[in-house]
Amino acid sequence: MFSDLISKIRDIRARATPQVKRPFYIGLAVGLAIAVLVGLGLRNTESFFAMPSELEGIATSQAIWGLKPSNLLMVLPLGAFLVVLARSFVGLKAFGLFTPMLVALAFLQIGPVMGPIVLGSSVLVGMIVAPTLLKLRMTRVGFLGVLISLIVLVLVALQMILDTQLQVDAFPVVVCALVVERWWRQWEKDGPVDAARMAFNTFIISVVIQFVMVSNIALLLIEASPLLMPGATAVAIAILGRYRGLRLTEIGRFAPIWLERRRSSQPDELPEGVLEDRRKTAPDTAPIGEPARKKPKIAASERAPPLDGIWVISSPEDLRPFRRRRVPQTELQRQPDSEAQFEARIGASGKPPIHNAWIIKSEEDV
Amino acid sequence: MLMDFGKMFGRRKQKAPLSPLTMTPFEEILGINMRNALIAKYNPRIAIERARDKVAAKVALEAAGIACTGTVAVIDDHQKLNAFKPTRDMPDSWAIKPARGSQGDGILLAVRREGDVWYKGSGTPLTEQDVMHHIQKVVDGGFSGDTASEDAALIEPLIIADPTLADLVPEGLPDLRVICLHDEPLMAMLRLPTNESDGKANLHQRAIGAGISLETGRIIRALVLGEPITHHPDTGAKLIGYEVPGWDRVLELASKCGPAIGLGYSGSDIVLDKNEGPLIIEVNAHPGIEIQNICQLGLKAQMAAVGEDFR
Repeated sequence: MFSDLISKIRDIRARATPQVKRPFYIGLAVGLAIAVLVGLGLRNTESFFAMPSELEGIATSQAIWGLKPSNLLMVLPLGAFLVVLARSFVGLKAFGLFTPMLVALAFLQIGPVMGPIVLGSSVLVGMIVAPTLLKLRMTRVGFLGVLISLIVLVLVALQMILDTQLQVDAFPVVVCALVVERWWRQWEKDGPVDAARMAFNTFIISVVIQFVMVSNIALLLIEASPLLMPGATAVAIAILGRYRGLRLTEIGRFAPIWLERRRSSQPDELPEGVLEDRRKTAPDTAPIGEPARKKPKIAASERAPPLDGIWVISSPEDLRPFRRRRVPQTELQRQPDSEAQFEARIGASGKPPIHNAWIIKSEEDV
Repeated sequence: MLMDFGKMFGRRKQKAPLSPLTMTPFEEILGINMRNALIAKYNPRIAIERARDKVAAKVALEAAGIACTGTVAVIDDHQKLNAFKPTRDMPDSWAIKPARGSQGDGILLAVRREGDVWYKGSGTPLTEQDVMHHIQKVVDGGFSGDTASEDAALIEPLIIADPTLADLVPEGLPDLRVICLHDEPLMAMLRLPTNESDGKANLHQRAIGAGISLETGRIIRALVLGEPITHHPDTGAKLIGYEVPGWDRVLELASKCGPAIGLGYSGSDIVLDKNEGPLIIEVNAHPGIEIQNICQLGLKAQMAAVGEDFR
């Protein structure tokens, strides 16, 4: 079973052109780098199930990861960098532009496991209540307002149930409300599968961002100098932001074009037992006896000249931009005729001859 | 100094212009990143706003002498809403559209009228109150994306599709999408509704996408969700080889649309009316790139062929 898979992968690798290979290797390297960072972040996590009330007033992010609350601001550019990576290189679709980054920040404030649970439950309640709210026929602002109240209600209820103080001052309540709205809109438009996939993407990206934010390297950079992190990520985003090629997901999306072309360009499959296609162009299948009729070749200069305004394309070179030329037209050669001045110029002025005037065209007229 | 900086990052090498003959298959495809770059290059902000607002777009198109769908009324504030009486002002069949809606959200269609009640295509009755409520929701910005809080409702007479086109589909209105760069049509497809797409010509909702040859105006390829087909699954009508009536006129209209609104890269939605022929319903400033899968052609190669240098 595995040998099958390996041979398939080898086959794909052998057929891949450099144009496919290069982005693939780059993607692999970036993916590995992020995986290492996430691993570091996971290793850096001291306790997964700490309740904020057990931490004796110390901020959650500092107690678990050693990230000072004042440094929460510093990791934001890193989150933005990862969002750019996920969007314009991988092509993962999430609710909103920087929603995953804000959600990750909320995770940092609540805890590695508690964060997703709190956020998940508040968004879930919103998702369940949304259809009922929509039936009330409110305006959009009203709908969002009710959602915000609901999410805060869930947060407060959770605090009471867990008997703890969640540190949720920067919790993106509005972002949650918007996520619920986007979720419902996506459901209406493309069905539950697409909406669920987008919600899953948002969740995964924010979890990845969360762990990259608290990895040793990120913390080290922040400790080294407060200016280092924002500056480095700004330059990195500016360079990556110029990327204009295909996204990873688009390679899969447009693969049918290449595959079908390849299929149509390959010759038809041969029947069993036949090793060689000898029908076309093979010398021994040419008809015998009937000599191929040759067209008499005419030199280009002897052929009828091309009409005015026609493009003449005689080689692939002519298809290049700015290579097309209109046919040069030979001007009708006007023969100078010195005798013309003595010829009769009747009607040359355009006026009819004056009444009673003699019109002499030939000798007989005289 | 700034120039040097620019050279460092931007124009490092003077590459030869991309030629459609030397492109690899990988380079022929227009990705969403490149599309966004082209939009940033050719579609000015003001033109995008104009295209997004159906009313403003219609004004611009009409001014350029381009045939658009008709207009019954434009309701853009509550004063006009209060003065509006559907039973008095509406024809027998109509379409209500949000001026700033996207992807067909909030479009309400009525196909016939009996007394003071209209009926949707599915047979659901619409009372005067339902209609007024829908218009109010549109005016309040209920279908206008995340940014707008107020919107205008555009009421148009219902378009009856060209009979040869209407025979292809069970119900709904097929529409043409033509992608243009400046005034050069690059690629075209026909979107045909199916029963599964609920009469909507939306490719995500299992409508058929049919690639049209620009030269002949005939369908060369048809797909439902990536699966090639030759006949319509509901009506059984043969799709491959169907010739769009008035194809030259369609291309002429499409090539005028972008310049009329101010867009360099545009996707025009065109319907074929029974009486008036091709009419523009909408011009998109951000046309999708799924059309490449449907026509099995790369948009980037098409653009390079008309002289785009992608810088």
